[in-house]
Amino acid sequence: MSKSKKRTDLLRGTLDLLILKALALEPLHGVGVSRRITQITRDAFRVSFGSLFPSLHRMEEKGWVEAEWRASENNRRAKYYRLTASGRAQLTAEERDWGQVVKIMTAAVESA
Amino acid sequence: MPIRVASFFQNLLRKRAAEQALDDELQSAVELLTQEKMKEGLSHQEARRQALIELGGVEQVKEQVRDSRTGAFLDSLLQDLRFALRQMQRSPGFVLTAVLILALGIAANVIVFGVLQALVLRSLDLPHAEQVMTLQPKDAGPFVSNPEVRDVRDGNSVFSAVAVYEFQGFGLEANGVTRPVWGAEVSGQYFEVVGIKPVLGRLLERADNDHPGASEAAVISWSAWQSDFGADPNIVGTTVRIDKHPYTIVGVAPEGFRGTEKIPQLDIFVPIANEASLDGFSWLESRSYRNLFSIVRIKDGVTTPEAQAELNAIATRIAMQHPKDEEGLALKLARPGMIGDFVGGPVRAFLAGVMGLAGIVLLAACANLGSLFAARTADRAKEIAIRMALGSGRWRILRQLLVEASVISILGGALACGLAWMALTGLASWHPPTQYPLRLSFVLPQPSLILVGLLISVAAGVVFGLMPLRQIFKTDPNDTIKSGGGPFAAGRRWALRDVLLAAQIALCCVTVTAAFVSLRGLGRAMTMDLGFNPKNVLLTQFDLSQAAYSGEAADHFQRQLLDKLSQIPGVDAAGYASTTPLSGETFVSAVFSQQSSDFRPSNKAFYAYNYDISPGYLTAAGTSLLAGRDVSFADTAKTPPVAIVNQEFARRLFHSEHAVGRYFKDRDGMSIQIVGIVADGKQFTLAEDPKAAAFFPISQKASTSTTVVVRTRRDTADMVAALRGVILDLDRGVPIRELGPWNTALALSFFPSQAATVALGVFGAFGLLLSITGTFGLACYTVGKRRRELSIRVALGAQTKQILSAALGRMLILLASGSAVGILLGVAASRILSAIVYQASAQDPFVLAAVVFTLLLTGSMSVAGPVRRVLYLDPANLLREQ
Repeated sequence: MSKSKKRTDLLRGTLDLLILKALALEPLHGVGVSRRITQITRDAFRVSFGSLFPSLHRMEEKGWVEAEWRASENNRRAKYYRLTASGRAQLTAEERDWGQVVKIMTAAVESA
Repeated sequence: MPIRVASFFQNLLRKRAAEQALDDELQSAVELLTQEKMKEGLSHQEARRQALIELGGVEQVKEQVRDSRTGAFLDSLLQDLRFALRQMQRSPGFVLTAVLILALGIAANVIVFGVLQALVLRSLDLPHAEQVMTLQPKDAGPFVSNPEVRDVRDGNSVFSAVAVYEFQGFGLEANGVTRPVWGAEVSGQYFEVVGIKPVLGRLLERADNDHPGASEAAVISWSAWQSDFGADPNIVGTTVRIDKHPYTIVGVAPEGFRGTEKIPQLDIFVPIANEASLDGFSWLESRSYRNLFSIVRIKDGVTTPEAQAELNAIATRIAMQHPKDEEGLALKLARPGMIGDFVGGPVRAFLAGVMGLAGIVLLAACANLGSLFAARTADRAKEIAIRMALGSGRWRILRQLLVEASVISILGGALACGLAWMALTGLASWHPPTQYPLRLSFVLPQPSLILVGLLISVAAGVVFGLMPLRQIFKTDPNDTIKSGGGPFAAGRRWALRDVLLAAQIALCCVTVTAAFVSLRGLGRAMTMDLGFNPKNVLLTQFDLSQAAYSGEAADHFQRQLLDKLSQIPGVDAAGYASTTPLSGETFVSAVFSQQSSDFRPSNKAFYAYNYDISPGYLTAAGTSLLAGRDVSFADTAKTPPVAIVNQEFARRLFHSEHAVGRYFKDRDGMSIQIVGIVADGKQFTLAEDPKAAAFFPISQKASTSTTVVVRTRRDTADMVAALRGVILDLDRGVPIRELGPWNTALALSFFPSQAATVALGVFGAFGLLLSITGTFGLACYTVGKRRRELSIRVALGAQTKQILSAALGRMLILLASGSAVGILLGVAASRILSAIVYQASAQDPFVLAAVVFTLLLTGSMSVAGPVRRVLYLDPANLLREQ
């Protein structure tokens, strides 16, 4: 319990960026987003659905993603999320911010 | 942003569709996950189980999504509100009790705050009122003399205007009728200090006060203009007669301006330069005749400490220049409106005390509701556990309870505002029992009070709503649902509500003690020896200067009147005096020993109250002459001066009551022989210690101010008519200020202790009510919770005593310890009462006994019901039930 909780906390700041990144390539449904994040982080992060779905809905409200219902790969109806133009802009901005953070943190950690 | 706003409404309005979509999405996610697991070779059932575990519960995820939506807070708040209202419908008795308790608690606070705001916090309704102050001697009464203030006016650089004024009753003759009206004689810069603009004409100016008789101008109040002059637009220039002297009305003050004191409401303003013609004698140039109030306006940009510093320098200078009259003069700036700190000080202290009590009552009410809420939460343990199991967060549950508390507290607050509004409106239109123009119209409720009430009620709601906090955070849904009763069933441990009960009882004890202390004080005040006997006595007050009498003419009139009065059948005794004790118009003068040759104030023996009396006054007033003789009309200006003094006077001057034949000196160095000794009595207030008093023959120094004292056994109404007839027969132009029983005239003296007793009595009763409901509620609850356990004990053969101690032993410990602490607190708090209530002391054995008895009585009353239930427990019944 406490271990997984810790992992979610770690993810909290970066979850939006990861979701945007996951959706950058192609539209995905919720489960797909989760699997894609696991894949692109090389199995380091497992996003809990309790965090993922609220984030997706928030992004939809903000207009970063839009959703449509269509058939899934094995012919089930699923809600697919796709990045909008403002979502792409957001992704670029967040990537840039993240780069800054990494640079600053790396410098800070390697100093002394 | 527009998208966000849109989705806000979308979420609120199209909630059902959104809920459906969310459900669909999550169901499809479960299916997708299930398929994934099945591909790994699991059975459909096992795959679905794994899928649900990975998802973390469909309902839980839904709840998290809902929380993240815009407007989710408001949305769930509405849900909470609906749920709270449903809950309240289910237990209307609880809601009604809670709302009522709270309404009374909040109303008490709002009312007291309203009065506090009106009397203390709000400044006078004048332009830049913060710059307006009053000057008063540092360690003496509120009065200053005209030359003192004139020196300040002419020698300062910090005040833009400095003025004096004196309250005065006038005989105003307009349209052929003479009426007594209250007004003020004001000095030239008075209206510069005030800074208001007239509605009509002009206000009084410096030129009006240039020299005595400089102008016969009068300014009237807006309300006098409305009621006495029919709002006549041509009023300016009208001639009226004030105390028989012709005056011209030159202007009308704006609506709402009734002088610069909050309680006396004045109607007419005339130049103080004319005081000699209005009062019959002149005191304007006297430094020792202190009878004036002052009012000043501080210049822009000057701070109060700067002004005070300069004032100190001026006072020192005055004292040095006039050592005989002004020795040790120190002036201080005080807030105007309540006769400076003189009345303002005690009023502030008393109101602060009452505000504290009101706060205590509210705290007690909150503690009461808090324990009710805690008990209810305990009863709802199962409901709460189920909600948690279904995915509700602890905060959400807490919020739900807070919403319930807020709904109750806001209902209570609204009711309280209504109550307070009615009470204050009533108070504002109430006429205090006095001939003076005293009104409390300024306590009219202000809209800002609603805000105060609302703030108090929300704060109260949060306070008692948060009491079950610990219970909720301790709840473990698993245990609770399994055990059925819940972990917070009344057990061995001391629960929060036990502490709350003890605290509440302690607080209630404080209010009960205060109530008894003031009740006892009032009882004493009602039966104490006043030094005169107001029963069966009629008083008539008038001032002959208002009918243009002075000196010998006044003396002649008074003697004629006394002759005629003595002939009225049924009059047992009659006399007159310049003023009577406790009339509020008494004044003091310095007394010097016979050996004195230095008559500076610091060399005085003491101050004594002065009365000028006619022969027969002492008999009529019922003041017993203990030794010597009464004054006589044979004591005249040509015979040696004599006086009658009271026991305290004799004791202080000679350390013995054998003073007849001995001498003292007045401040002019005149030797006065003591010819009689009278019993001590009250002079200025009921709460005072014995004060020295001296009674001089009115035939030795004539006074136009007249109080006729008539002792009679005849019917009051008959006698009042007869008295009025006799006076008006002599001169129709005498404006009679008051005519009625002495007891009625004394009402104002008894008023502070009566008001205090009523206020504290209400708080005391309310405190008792709270402690009864609190104790009763908790006792019932404890017994109810433990019925099963107690029944089993009975079945196993426990004795009545054992059962009672098991069921209610703890309650009794709480009651006793709470009461003990409360009485101690009450004793400490009652000290502040002593300024208002005669001989107020909580160390009085009667008070302590009454408090203890009341608490025992209410305590046993409130546990009687639960005790009965315990005694009649039938184990068979209960065991059958379960």
